[in-house]
Amino acid sequence: MKTRRIVGAVSVALVASVVAAACGGSDSGSSDGGTPKKGGTINILSNAEQIAHLDPQRNYTGDDLAFAGSTIQRSLTTYKFAEGDAGSDIVGDLATDTGTASADGKVWKFTLKDGVKFEDGTDITCADVAYGVSRSFATDVITDGPSYAMTYLNVEGEYPGPYKATAAQQAAYDKAVTCDGKTITFNLKSTVADFNYTTTLLTFSPVPKAQDTGEKYDMKPVASGPYKIESYEVGKSLVLVRNDQWDPATDTERKAYADSIVYNFGLDESAMDERMIADAGEDQTAVSYGILPENLQTVFEGDEALAKRAVNYYDPFVTYTNLNVKNLSCLDVRKAIYLGLDRDALRKAGGGPYTGDFADGFIKPALALDYKKPTQLEGLNEDGTPNVDAAKAAMTAAETNCPDVAAHAKDGLKFYYPDTEVWKKALAIWIDSMGKVGIKIKPEAVGDPSQYWPTVMNPETDFDIARGGWAPDWANASTVIPELFTTGGGFNITRNADDPDYKTFETKVEEARNTLDRTEQGVKWQELNQFVVDRLWALPGTFTRAQSMWGSRVGGAFQWGPFGAFCYGNLWVK
Amino acid sequence: MFLFITRRLFFALLLLLAVSVVTYLLFSALPVDPAALTCGKNCKPDLIAANRVRLGYDKPIVEQYWLFLKGIFAGRDYGMGQAAFSCPAPSLGYSFAQHECVTTLIGKTFPVTAFLSLGAFVLWMVIGVGSGAIAALNKGKWQDRLANAFTAIGVSLPTFYVGLLVLFSVVIWLDLLPFPRYTSPFSDPVQFLNAMILPWLTLAVLSAATYTRLTRNGMLEAMNEDFVRLGVAKGLTRRVILRKYVMRSAMVPIVTIAGLDFAALLGGAIITESVFSLPGMGKLSIRAVVESDLPVLVGTTMVAAVFIVLANVVVDILYGVLDPRVRTH
Repeated sequence: MKTRRIVGAVSVALVASVVAAACGGSDSGSSDGGTPKKGGTINILSNAEQIAHLDPQRNYTGDDLAFAGSTIQRSLTTYKFAEGDAGSDIVGDLATDTGTASADGKVWKFTLKDGVKFEDGTDITCADVAYGVSRSFATDVITDGPSYAMTYLNVEGEYPGPYKATAAQQAAYDKAVTCDGKTITFNLKSTVADFNYTTTLLTFSPVPKAQDTGEKYDMKPVASGPYKIESYEVGKSLVLVRNDQWDPATDTERKAYADSIVYNFGLDESAMDERMIADAGEDQTAVSYGILPENLQTVFEGDEALAKRAVNYYDPFVTYTNLNVKNLSCLDVRKAIYLGLDRDALRKAGGGPYTGDFADGFIKPALALDYKKPTQLEGLNEDGTPNVDAAKAAMTAAETNCPDVAAHAKDGLKFYYPDTEVWKKALAIWIDSMGKVGIKIKPEAVGDPSQYWPTVMNPETDFDIARGGWAPDWANASTVIPELFTTGGGFNITRNADDPDYKTFETKVEEARNTLDRTEQGVKWQELNQFVVDRLWALPGTFTRAQSMWGSRVGGAFQWGPFGAFCYGNLWVK
Repeated sequence: MFLFITRRLFFALLLLLAVSVVTYLLFSALPVDPAALTCGKNCKPDLIAANRVRLGYDKPIVEQYWLFLKGIFAGRDYGMGQAAFSCPAPSLGYSFAQHECVTTLIGKTFPVTAFLSLGAFVLWMVIGVGSGAIAALNKGKWQDRLANAFTAIGVSLPTFYVGLLVLFSVVIWLDLLPFPRYTSPFSDPVQFLNAMILPWLTLAVLSAATYTRLTRNGMLEAMNEDFVRLGVAKGLTRRVILRKYVMRSAMVPIVTIAGLDFAALLGGAIITESVFSLPGMGKLSIRAVVESDLPVLVGTTMVAAVFIVLANVVVDILYGVLDPRVRTH
């Protein structure tokens, strides 16, 4: 199975994600040289049966956001269509710039550009954007999408979205999101310093009310970008053709080189790889997302020409291990676990270096402004091998400093894991390497993998150790550190609320959140990343990687940092 | 005869009801929570609950089943306000994963499977019965041994392996054909044939093996029957004896199996469709299994069951045509 499937299967709660890559190393491959030219057809090969969601308010997967956002849909702001760190910078898209915030960061204004139109030639108005955003509130119809508009917007009372809202409820929404000519104003509940990053999500993409078909809009959304849907057949193909109502003068990022883009669905995974390797006929202008593990060596270590048509790069994910800080309230024990863990064996069991690099924290280097390599725990081996002596020393210290917790660790720590082959192997390594340090692991299998997150997130589940995996929603660590480690965060499984350092941490997080200067804010996230790495509320695992291939006649192929996927709309045919 | 058919059809209907009930019961007994499966990144308990309501899994299983039955005759409405839509009768429900009524989905995928099955069926009957007859007529000679080898290999090779091998060698390595991309035969017959020829061959060669063996053994057995010896004694020509006596008798078991095999194929050739990327019923049903998409699952199961039941009726009728002994009873 390919990476995308593994991600989907193993971490059901984390299907989506944005933001990653851009370590700028030699492995940040891209298709070389030549001057981009117009014309031709780009083929996308996929083993999926359809795009998870083309409805802009329901789209929440890195690869799909990169696809739809670079071809058929525009939002208020967008990431630069660029390789490397520059890809995490934002610019105005439908809006003239990246928006202006009030001094307290609670009111954000964006002004729409002149000449932006839907595919039927009607102007895109402020009302279309406001209506689009309102759809994301209708969680009974518009499912699976990001819920940031609901979290942030200061709508008084309950607002069930435009389909069910009473006149009074709609009026409350219209007070929170106001239109004044071409200017749209968002009134937020509290300070959101990076709201203009949030608006890169297609949640903030316009939808013409008259053409909204609710649940069925997913199959034929109205285009605002340079391409529109010509045909869409589940299990077969999605054909995009030029949208002649899109005016390149209104768009600094989309180049729309290809005349058409064809998404081919339902392909056998091994056949896809063979076709990409063979590079014959139409496949020379094809791209495919993900490479089967058994083909990685052939692609990257066999033929040099082949390696040039492929990328092995960070995807948006960070994997880690959650510790129940309430049970393991002793830092020495947490240190012993981290030092003694055979991370190298774990990575080998999971597929080796192609799966990712050992993580040094919870923020990936792709978040350029927020990343600074944290100082690592003393004694931790950089190559991932266990440092048994240091771990034993930490356990000895624990026996003096916190005998209760040390005794609990010796007695047995409950490790909740999804009952899959991959995790059974991982557990064997955990049991073995912890045994050498004098810590016992009690495996607790969760039979239905889709129930894994609900189980460990349930406060009544008494676990000691649980897995973790996360990808930020936009290029700002505000979607990482608070989400994973504050009590209000959506994915905090560490139970760190009673840790003596928690209050300090929370105050610092609030400070960082409210810092409007992006560079200054970045420094604060760097410090907070260090803070968490020092406390070991969770143990960093890997900065995961993804691999993709493209045909010999494809230009402009690179892994787009914010999404860990191709910048599909700017691919061109050589 | 009329009574026979009506009775069979009546029982067929009862059977279909039973199949749908069992599918519903089995599904409700699964440990997987479809509401949790379909909810994305912010999967919190209240969202899972909302999802359950949207998908209709919050209702008791009996009520769900009743709505399903009612939908077949009266159609079903979903959503409200501007987001409202309906699946007209005969409705088998709506797939929220594919944003389409199940009846429409089956209507789209069934022709693909039907063309695949029909082509493969004709090919394998010709290859299987033909080679079996040749083997029987040349018992012990090289033709017979070759047919034996063919059956041994054909029966033991798995479809996914042969399919991929054929696909890789013909399309990717030798570049003899473009990569199969299914098109309706009415819009582009050439591309249709391009897409179908390899799956037809794969299915046919593998399935033919069984028929070769059945035909060979059936014919050899029939050749020793009293009625054949009587025919010879009467001085009938070899042609007549083979066609009217031997083949006819040998065909009885073959018709049974062929009918069921063909019907099973109409329910979806999961592996062949997956390997050759054919958007047929097999892929539709396997996706429904993976995504715990109950309406699609029930729909495809029912359609598959319809064909098995129909095939049984047809086979029973054909028995009478082929074997005079059945007719007299």
